[in-house]
Amino acid sequence: MSYAVAVDIGGTFTDLVGYDHVNRRVVYTKSATTYGDFVAGILDCFAKAGLTPEQANSLNHGTTLVINAFIQRRGAKAALVTTKGFRDLLEIARANRPDPFDLHYRRDEPLIPRSLRLEVAERIDTNGAVVEPLDVEALEEIAAQLRRLEVESVAVFFMNSFANPAHEELAAARLRELLPDVYITHSTDLTREWYEYERTSTAAANAYVGPQVARYVRQLETDMKDRGFSGSLFMMGSNGGLLSVERTCRQPVALVESGPIGGCIGAGAYAEALGFKNLVAFDMGGTTAKCALVENGRFNVESIYYAGGYVQGFPIKSPVIDIVEVGSGGGSVAWLDPLNRLHVGPRSAGSTPGPVCYGRGGVEATVTDANLVLGRLNADRFLGGELKLDTEGARRAIAALAEPLGYAGESGMLRMADGVLSLATIIMAGAIRQVSVEHGLDPRDFVLFSYGGGGPLHAAALARELSIPVVVIPPAPGNFSAVGMLLADARIDLSTTFTGVLSEGVMAAVQSAFGKMESEAAASLQKEFGAQEVFFERYVEMRYLGQRHNIKVPAMDVGDLAAIRSAFEHDYKRRYGHADAKNPAELQALHLTALARQRRPDLASLPQIGGPGDGPSSRRIYFGDANGFLNADVYERSALAPGFCANGPAVIEEYGSTTLVGPHDRFEIGPLREIRIHCSTKRETI
Amino acid sequence: MTDATTIDPITLEVIRYGLISATNQIDANIKRTAFSPYIYEYNDFAVGLTDMDGRLVAQCTGGMPPFVADSVGTAVRDGLLIYGRDRLHYGDVVVCNHAAVQGQHLNNTVMYTPIVANPDGSGPLIGFFAINVHWIDIGGTMTHSNDIFMEGLQLRSVKMWSKGEPIEEVYRIIENNTRLPAELMGDIQAQLAGCFLGRDLVAALAQRYGLPTFHEAVRLILDQAEAAARAHILALPDGVYEHETWLDNDGEGDEPVPIKVRVVIEGDEMTVDYTGIADQAKGSINSGYHGGGLTTARVAFRYLVAPDEPANEGLFRPLKLILPQGKILSADPTAPMANYPMPFPTVIDAVIKALEKALPERVTGGHFATHSGFRLYGRRADGRIFNGHDSGHGGWGACATHDGAGPFRTMAHGDTRLIPLELQERLLPFRIESFSLRPDSGGPGKFRGGMGFEKRYRILEPCLLHTNLDRTNHPAWGVLGGKEARPGSVFVEKPNGVRIPMNKARGDMLDAGDLVILETGGGGGYGPPEARDLALIQRDVDEGYVSLAAAKQDYSVLSDEGGRLTRP
Repeated sequence: MSYAVAVDIGGTFTDLVGYDHVNRRVVYTKSATTYGDFVAGILDCFAKAGLTPEQANSLNHGTTLVINAFIQRRGAKAALVTTKGFRDLLEIARANRPDPFDLHYRRDEPLIPRSLRLEVAERIDTNGAVVEPLDVEALEEIAAQLRRLEVESVAVFFMNSFANPAHEELAAARLRELLPDVYITHSTDLTREWYEYERTSTAAANAYVGPQVARYVRQLETDMKDRGFSGSLFMMGSNGGLLSVERTCRQPVALVESGPIGGCIGAGAYAEALGFKNLVAFDMGGTTAKCALVENGRFNVESIYYAGGYVQGFPIKSPVIDIVEVGSGGGSVAWLDPLNRLHVGPRSAGSTPGPVCYGRGGVEATVTDANLVLGRLNADRFLGGELKLDTEGARRAIAALAEPLGYAGESGMLRMADGVLSLATIIMAGAIRQVSVEHGLDPRDFVLFSYGGGGPLHAAALARELSIPVVVIPPAPGNFSAVGMLLADARIDLSTTFTGVLSEGVMAAVQSAFGKMESEAAASLQKEFGAQEVFFERYVEMRYLGQRHNIKVPAMDVGDLAAIRSAFEHDYKRRYGHADAKNPAELQALHLTALARQRRPDLASLPQIGGPGDGPSSRRIYFGDANGFLNADVYERSALAPGFCANGPAVIEEYGSTTLVGPHDRFEIGPLREIRIHCSTKRETI
Repeated sequence: MTDATTIDPITLEVIRYGLISATNQIDANIKRTAFSPYIYEYNDFAVGLTDMDGRLVAQCTGGMPPFVADSVGTAVRDGLLIYGRDRLHYGDVVVCNHAAVQGQHLNNTVMYTPIVANPDGSGPLIGFFAINVHWIDIGGTMTHSNDIFMEGLQLRSVKMWSKGEPIEEVYRIIENNTRLPAELMGDIQAQLAGCFLGRDLVAALAQRYGLPTFHEAVRLILDQAEAAARAHILALPDGVYEHETWLDNDGEGDEPVPIKVRVVIEGDEMTVDYTGIADQAKGSINSGYHGGGLTTARVAFRYLVAPDEPANEGLFRPLKLILPQGKILSADPTAPMANYPMPFPTVIDAVIKALEKALPERVTGGHFATHSGFRLYGRRADGRIFNGHDSGHGGWGACATHDGAGPFRTMAHGDTRLIPLELQERLLPFRIESFSLRPDSGGPGKFRGGMGFEKRYRILEPCLLHTNLDRTNHPAWGVLGGKEARPGSVFVEKPNGVRIPMNKARGDMLDAGDLVILETGGGGGYGPPEARDLALIQRDVDEGYVSLAAAKQDYSVLSDEGGRLTRP
């Protein structure tokens, strides 16, 4: 008996999903994340699941290690070696102030301080020609200096290296010889697109986390092997694909969104299996809500990511699934400003002290408290009964918030709790509108696919706010991120800056650039995953001649100029409302996605299936548009078989999550035991 | 609303979020659909909602700071004067860029459309959805101008659409009065689509809650903003506060341009008095009463007093302006205005400086405060025309809690990113030899001012240089005992070593091999240098932000052989 295993280490819990391909058997477990020794938490999950490491033939692993190192500033002592005259690029950044009215605005400090940014003579021009050769001898003095400074890692970045990486490669190789114990990385090993600040920032970020990630992954591999694991360890990349241990150690920045990626992969797989053309993947946890679009089973991959956010943080040029995040989660605090205006979030009570109802010392009312007092959560079954919720505490906190606004007594308290949820809904709806509007899409054409601890509880109200007709809740929504990791393929994304007018003349060069990237990617996938069959997706970034905005369009057949042109015009028209058939178009960048399919679990075998049970019980739940409590049927999810359907109001409970169905909604259980809520156009709140 | 409808506080918040969300959604849509980098790269636009009298109710949270001062409402009110409510119909679209209305350069064009109560176009007028966009080119001279008529096409409250139909003649006028018709017509399309979509979103919100509730919510949103602003001002000590500084010149003559501001705090009202400011200039640094005077006062007010409050008409009710006609900030509508925002950063900063004693926790040292425009243009060997704008970003002032930041663009700019050097080198005939922070450029103080930068361009083909760098005689000041910063400069260094100052080059010829050195100013310090933490001085010297010589002079420190600093 052997299992494919996925482990997702989050801030609070470590989730494990194991799948036996032969017997189509699935196991889910959750265990507290063990800081300081993550492996202990993983092994604890194995034990809880009744598995041993020998039984695992593969281990897919997602971690928030990289992003946490950036945010908590717990990376290596890193240095930068760069072109003479340019060591301050990292600090000057793009010289913008994203928050226009903050007089005291400042960006987070650069990852590498000025005194650790060293310069060497060399220069390459925009076309890749050498203007000044690299002073290789000077590297010896630089290496001596770096040794004295006791740096743990070095990033190499040179101007215009995107056009010719020779100097960077030479310098990195020489520094490796001179500093064998130091982690060395160079910008063109991470990105081949232009823009010096983004490239130097990427190299710096990679150097900053490199030693730590390499240590962690190697240690994990060793520890698991020591306990009998003989399968392959793969890491979850931010592009939604699996990465080999070797690649992870070389390009740790590719793990920056490793944590939340699983849910998006899972959403894509379900969309494909259930035949949903477009869906919004919506994940609501304790502190934030995240959403991403999945079109035709594909999630959108961006080639830039801002660690620490666009306002304060720094860019990383690395393929990352396009996820929009808002500060609205179960722990979001509801508060009044000095003028008694009500706000929800973005501040969160987190998991400690957490919402008032956790009874861990929290005193400010949160979204979870509002859900509890309205009867939407079962105080005795939270996290399978592991945490008893304090309803009275939650009621007091909400009443304290309601009183200054003139909402008195029991009815005022309930009205307030309902108001807090309405406001949270509006804020989350804003995030979904943003991600759709930015792509020129209408949320009404999408299915809302919701998971995470809080997603299923809020999804129906959110769908009504956005006029989305159908909500889908997958099995095991509380473990869904780990489920998604089991469904991932091996994937490499490569891109390169390429400028030229779209014409027969340049296509040979385009073909050869793609050819080069394809052989590189295929060789890597063959080597790292033993992949025999590799699928390629080609995209070109282009625009009308002289414009500044690029559009990324598929270019499967590079020889078919007309098809590329027509794909471009189609997208252009969707975006701008018109297209110009006469105007020449120019290319700006080439993107390649290389995929090697991995064996996927059968989605039909993922749900937990229980006995038919005693039928529904019932509970009183407050609904705003009913202006009071209604009797709602309470179902045990594992008891509901495909084809079952019923009217709301209803609650469907399972371990780690609760699904709420509004009074005028109807729900059914679909072929993969997913819950489908058909939302009425009638409003639940206000 | 005489018969005050009661509205519960939660519904009010839901409507407030709904209105801001509508303007932000249109903001995202405009950026996505716009053609010109002015919009999606420089954010040179603003999206707003006004009530039926043209009072600003909600505005998008991003965009350019000078647009915060209700640029859209001014245009709507002019349309109401000209047409009256009765002649503004559902499906009409009006544009306005007139100097007598907005009082800024003519590129800033407001477009708006009436919102009525019902989505089918019936029902009473409830407001206007308006978008101000920097039109990429509206004709006019490319260099300098003597009056507004040299600066392009003026449209004063002109309908582009009537009752849902475009007016083709107006389109033809616009299309034939621009150098870049494809780009401009594309941007206009985005602006138009934004107006219609915004109108429909707001109408849907009004319909959902009912007109009486909607109107009452709007009234309360404005009143609450006013109350918030008054509460902030009330907390300030009453008094009369002043500051005077000078711009180097107006770009034409060589006379200093006085910028003298007076601020009166009295109870819960604040008055900005620009009586002492320079008279209307010959150079094109003029702006109108609304586009200049009111705008700078409101931007300063927002920076200092109410940065977190959403911009609307209520927020600015307690702010009064004293500004006689005929000043650079209240120029005649015929005055040249092409370079209208040039004094803005200095004016805004002077208001902040004036209040240093009243608001010690909020004020900052002065910032470099000059647009420091930098343009290289000409014709390549193969005949292609090139025209590259670069700009100077400088140091910002220190504040009560930390050193000044930057280099950033000025206080009159928002989220404007500098153009990547690798892109510039691909498009323009120069190579950047270095781009670095300028040590010692930040003003000393308990907290040090931010640094400017130094950028060296090696010219590879003959070209023309246009620059606009000011504040060299009166650089960024310190506050509360902090010291002033170093100013910026532009020099051209010829291959024979001769250095020529070119702070205000007007098409000066450069040859291949010339080196252009652009240095930008720093920001001013906060608090006396004696109060600076020794560890911070040590850090500055170790990191090279401050030279050892400057540290010794400005902070009176001593250094041992190991480089360790001590105070005598």
